[in-house]
Amino acid sequence: MAENENTVSDVLDDKSYKYGFTTKVEAETFAKGLNEDVIRAISKKKNEPEFMLDFRLKAYKKWLTMKEPAWANVHYNAIDYQNISYFSAPKPKKKLESLDEVDPEVLKTFEKLGIPLDEQKRLANVAVDAVFDSVSVATTHKKKLMEVGVIFCPISEALQEYPELVEQYLGTVVPVGDNYFAALNSAVFTDGSFVYIPPGTVCPMELSTYFRINTEETGQFERTLIICAEDSSVSYLEGCTAPQFDTNQLHAAVVELIALDNADIKYSTVQNWYSGDPETGKGGIFNFVTKRGKCQGKKSKISWTQVETGSAITWKYPSCILQGDDSVGEFYSVALTNGIMQADTGTKMIHLGNNTRSSIISKGISADRSSNSYRGQVKVAKNAKNARNYSQCDSMLVGDKCSAHTFPYIESANSTVQLEHEASTSKISEEQLFYFESRGISRENAITAVINGFCKEVFRQLPMEFAVEAQKLLTLKLENSVG
Amino acid sequence: MSGTVKEAPGQAETPFLELHKKFLQDTPPPGAVRGLAEAALERFSVLGFPHRKHEMYTFVGTQDLVGQAFELSGEGATPEQEFLRAQVVPGCENSVLVLVDGHYRADLSDTSALAGSIGVVPFAEALSDSGLQNYFKDAIDEENDVFAALNAAFMADGVAITLKEKAAPEAPLQVLCVSTGSTGGPVLNQPRVLIQVQPLAELKLITSFCGERPNYFVNAVMDILVQEGGQVSAAQVQRDPFEAWHFCKTRVTLAGDSRFFTVGASYGSRLVRHHYDARLKAPGAELSLNAVSVLGGQEQVHQFVRIHHEAPHCTSHQLFKNIVDGKSRVSVDGTVIVCTGAQLTYSDQLINNLMLSDDAHADNKPNLMIFADDVKCTHGATVGQVSPDQMFYLKTRGLSEKTAKELLTKSFAASVIDTVRFPAVAAELKKSLLKKLEA
Repeated sequence: MAENENTVSDVLDDKSYKYGFTTKVEAETFAKGLNEDVIRAISKKKNEPEFMLDFRLKAYKKWLTMKEPAWANVHYNAIDYQNISYFSAPKPKKKLESLDEVDPEVLKTFEKLGIPLDEQKRLANVAVDAVFDSVSVATTHKKKLMEVGVIFCPISEALQEYPELVEQYLGTVVPVGDNYFAALNSAVFTDGSFVYIPPGTVCPMELSTYFRINTEETGQFERTLIICAEDSSVSYLEGCTAPQFDTNQLHAAVVELIALDNADIKYSTVQNWYSGDPETGKGGIFNFVTKRGKCQGKKSKISWTQVETGSAITWKYPSCILQGDDSVGEFYSVALTNGIMQADTGTKMIHLGNNTRSSIISKGISADRSSNSYRGQVKVAKNAKNARNYSQCDSMLVGDKCSAHTFPYIESANSTVQLEHEASTSKISEEQLFYFESRGISRENAITAVINGFCKEVFRQLPMEFAVEAQKLLTLKLENSVG
Repeated sequence: MSGTVKEAPGQAETPFLELHKKFLQDTPPPGAVRGLAEAALERFSVLGFPHRKHEMYTFVGTQDLVGQAFELSGEGATPEQEFLRAQVVPGCENSVLVLVDGHYRADLSDTSALAGSIGVVPFAEALSDSGLQNYFKDAIDEENDVFAALNAAFMADGVAITLKEKAAPEAPLQVLCVSTGSTGGPVLNQPRVLIQVQPLAELKLITSFCGERPNYFVNAVMDILVQEGGQVSAAQVQRDPFEAWHFCKTRVTLAGDSRFFTVGASYGSRLVRHHYDARLKAPGAELSLNAVSVLGGQEQVHQFVRIHHEAPHCTSHQLFKNIVDGKSRVSVDGTVIVCTGAQLTYSDQLINNLMLSDDAHADNKPNLMIFADDVKCTHGATVGQVSPDQMFYLKTRGLSEKTAKELLTKSFAASVIDTVRFPAVAAELKKSLLKKLEA
């Protein structure tokens, strides 16, 4: 444990670390490395309540005893956890004068995705005019949300404003020692989103990280906590279709959802992180995410929808713990890998309550030399009477160098369950494309049509604009892979 | 976490290493075998017994087995004549090979019905062939199942069968593995069977495992090598007493245009684990694996299947039907691996579980790993119970609740038993295996 014995003075010696015992706090980035002092410093820097520091330290101690998991069907060079800086304050990005200054490749991508001009500017970090001012949009939204009592703010803000809510729920779905990456996240996360929907409230709009004030980089360890109280509902969107670049290679986020009686949470993700050099994979993001929802109340429902198209490595299993009687869990996923990307993704449906139902629809598309695995668990506890699950996972292979894998775990421990699992593999065949082309439909449109047909069930779950963009995104990604 | 990981290395393995020393002293195997046995022991030590989170043993608890102080079954025990006679499948009286406690017994065997078609030699003798030596050497180097490595470490005795080119004997060959068990502490016996089917030959094979007395651990390995155009139709019956552990690894290698068709039937015991590892090496190979388990009480049966499609134009089919009652447990962990270049592969896999009790467990892991794009692979798994609609239908036609349930559960299992290609075996299974479903 020698590497963890760096003392505060060691950290202070590094000139990039300016956090000290003076009141003037201007530090931007901590020195690389992780130890207890770094965690204390993060907590202090963010002026967190006492319980939060205990939470972080507990997670850190647990993390030290854990080993990095090796069971996933992904291969990568070992990560040096001491070579990461665990705190960097949000830095304002340099504003560009006009779209002319943006990389033409990026603009081309935007155009293909059909992103509106104003939005393009925002995404490319071009200073926007008064018509499209994200801050004012966000402020208007925030006001509207406050009127109905919805809390939607960065989790660091929630720790100051609503510490009792955070304390009550944080870590109840993903405990500090849940897994290696979740433990690391619990110890060092710096920001993320917090949502609380009060009882009997239907959230008046789709919540999205877009609108949140302070949307600058939340860092590589993001933490999201969403609580939906009795008889309320919310739809939450994460990510966007535009390609995202980040200098941090490791991303270990944790998302916790809690649904009380009759609550309904819908969580949609579109992920398009940089996947690295298509030949070597260099510089691609490692996306190791723990997402879990707990249907704590009766008749509650949690629905995950994800479109995963980026990252060098995706390791992600959005799960549902169906604890309340009659609760429902859903998982809809499209995962696309190309280049030499690797994805090991799927879900867990843990049936604990009576009459719980879950459905899983997973579509994997692998192209080039990539590897795409579905790994899903359906577990029915002894007392979960009349549990019902339907799983379908389909794979599509594009090219003969890629691979597609399916690893379902179906565990049943009582006699009233009904579980079904089915899987298939297929490919975009030359014949299909020829059929389209012979009818005057371009190759590109033909691929879009086939892919859309394949992913239809998942796209249907996405909010409208998202679905349109996601469809285009998939086509774009496969452009040079087919034929 | 540390609690779930294997305890101090070697702790659980030590008693078996001690047994091995004793084995080398008491019955030193001949030269070539000894080299392999030592390599296998090395492999065994490297692999170590599985801990609870071992991916290959997700559903199989081996703590209870590993904790036992086993003695090696002695050589020379002879089961009662009457018991032995009852185990021989009708029609196989003159085509039966008997292994008692893992030792090949020529005196109890009779292959007169197959004379001219097959060659039978003790396992060690067959190993004088350098091709086979290399096969076993590779198998040991690549071994990922610690129990099969354990068997190989003790390889000395066993039987090697060769079916000659183009031979297609009418009579099925029964390989009967009898464990005499123990009245004292638990004993370990490790049968080893090697079957080579030469080009265009057709073998009908019945393997049966049974025990005269309980309290034993039978840890078998069976290698079946089918050459070009060869065929094997098999039935594999596991019928050990409850107080027995039964592990068996069946390694099948299929050359071009060869076929392997097998139906496994398991009566269960305190712990049964079947491991199938099949390699379809050349175009045209076809494999079919059906299995049925009917369990009650505390019985357990675990199936672990790996099918490697290594060449294009190969086909594999799998069908598993399990019925669990009482506190029994069943699991199927099956993976089909379609290797790079194995285009035009066709593979299907279906697992059906029927749960009759709230205390029973049925776990499934039907996996696919696909590295080629022009393939057709499907798998499915279901867990359910007797359909109330079907029950109602039968009851409206005057059947009692009990009869209706029996009819439905028996027909569920019978759909696999009906695929057994030996009427005598199928009849016995219907009589005795399905009897377990009668209240």
